[in-house]
Amino acid sequence: MKTFAPLLHSYWYLFRGAGMTVLMATTAVVPATLLGALLALAQIFGSRATRSAIVGYIFIIRGIPLLVLLTFVYYLLPLTGVDLPPFWGVVLVLACYYAAFMSEAFRAGILSLPQAQWDAAKSLGMSRRLMLRIVIFPQALRLAAPPFINLCINLIKATSLVSIVGLWELTMASREVVERTLAPFQIFLAAAAMYFCICYALALYGKYLERRVLVGH
Amino acid sequence: MNAESSLATDVTSPRPMLDMSGIVKRFGANEVLRGVSLQVARGETVVVIGPSGSGKTTLLRCVNLLEDYQQGTVAVDGEPVGYVMDRGGQRQRMAEREIAAAREKIGIVFQSYNLFPHMTVLQNIVAAPIRVRGIPRPKAEQRARDLLAMVGLSEKADAYPARLSGGQQQRVAIARALAMDPKIMLFDEVTSALDPELVGEVLAAMQQLARDGMTMIVVTHEMSFARDVADRVVFMDGGVIVEQGAPEEMFASPRTDRVRQFLKRYNDRYRI
Repeated sequence: MKTFAPLLHSYWYLFRGAGMTVLMATTAVVPATLLGALLALAQIFGSRATRSAIVGYIFIIRGIPLLVLLTFVYYLLPLTGVDLPPFWGVVLVLACYYAAFMSEAFRAGILSLPQAQWDAAKSLGMSRRLMLRIVIFPQALRLAAPPFINLCINLIKATSLVSIVGLWELTMASREVVERTLAPFQIFLAAAAMYFCICYALALYGKYLERRVLVGH
Repeated sequence: MNAESSLATDVTSPRPMLDMSGIVKRFGANEVLRGVSLQVARGETVVVIGPSGSGKTTLLRCVNLLEDYQQGTVAVDGEPVGYVMDRGGQRQRMAEREIAAAREKIGIVFQSYNLFPHMTVLQNIVAAPIRVRGIPRPKAEQRARDLLAMVGLSEKADAYPARLSGGQQQRVAIARALAMDPKIMLFDEVTSALDPELVGEVLAAMQQLARDGMTMIVVTHEMSFARDVADRVVFMDGGVIVEQGAPEEMFASPRTDRVRQFLKRYNDRYRI
């Protein structure tokens, strides 16, 4: 206990860092999900040109490390004259990056439904919009839920990279405290525990959601 | 055939409930339907038999455009489904909204039931009547319960499909299609996926429907159903209708070798 007790004050500082991590991740996950859903639908129902554009986008995003993309945009934005606060710049990059992966999860969920479900909905005179809403999406979301939760967890952990462009969150806070206290093990152990708790809570919530939407199966 | 169809415009003989003419369907170079024409009268039960790959199921799926076709037209009760002829005699595809509206009048029951697994039995039945036809929920649910009673599944209204046997699911599928008050019902090998002891309950529901005057096309391998329920049996092979007629005639004395051969092989297989 002696090794940890003097650091209590620092832990409070880390805790605030963790709050920032959660804030950043939740702010990014909303546009990432919406954009991901849009990309998935456009890729399934869009014109050939739209489809190729989206495939190209996903291909490019998948081939670039997030760290490189963050740094690149950090230097690029000022050059293009866009004056975006760093927080929003980072949220933008995270959203665009994870939207690519989420669209693949959603698309897989929709496409893995048997053709028979579409046939049944069509034969009852449903419009495409209606059959998507009441037949396809409810089932596709159940299939897409596990990979979606995985991506959310990934996104939370990915926020640890943004300290590279000077944004303050849990990892940055930990590094600052370590420089002051010279107690890297105690501090990073605490940071790791906090990351774990956030991600574990989300995983539990995901399991709960899965059970709830598993109705009828 | 031509003489017959010109007679159909006569006031004394009402127009057919279903009129398919010259349907040609290709999968790539493979011609699955080679100019099939079929008329079904109001209240008539037509059973389509024939070997696998003869185009029976494809023909059925062309009726409500689940399968697109390259030539020909379909009309239900005089209203075109899918394609209309313009003044120049060219086939024009109808708008998606019009096609969806036309499909409402055509009930179809599939081999694999295709119930919506995330909805209860009752929700499966009322979904389209409420959302597509705009029927008030209480009225739609009352009708759904009546239909469930008709197929003998009153107590299953709140069950999910996964909890039902195949025969029960198939009877729910029949009720779901009937809930749209279709003018014609299509049955696509609806007993083929069922355990033998569950086949009877589904066939009984269909027989009741035929007796009540529903216009039906039934694609099946159940020869006894064809014999007992059909007003007319249609034999298909190689994408064309080879022979059609009253069941007692066709089963007793088929006119073509192809049908004789098919029925003989069928009888040999099932004679125990």
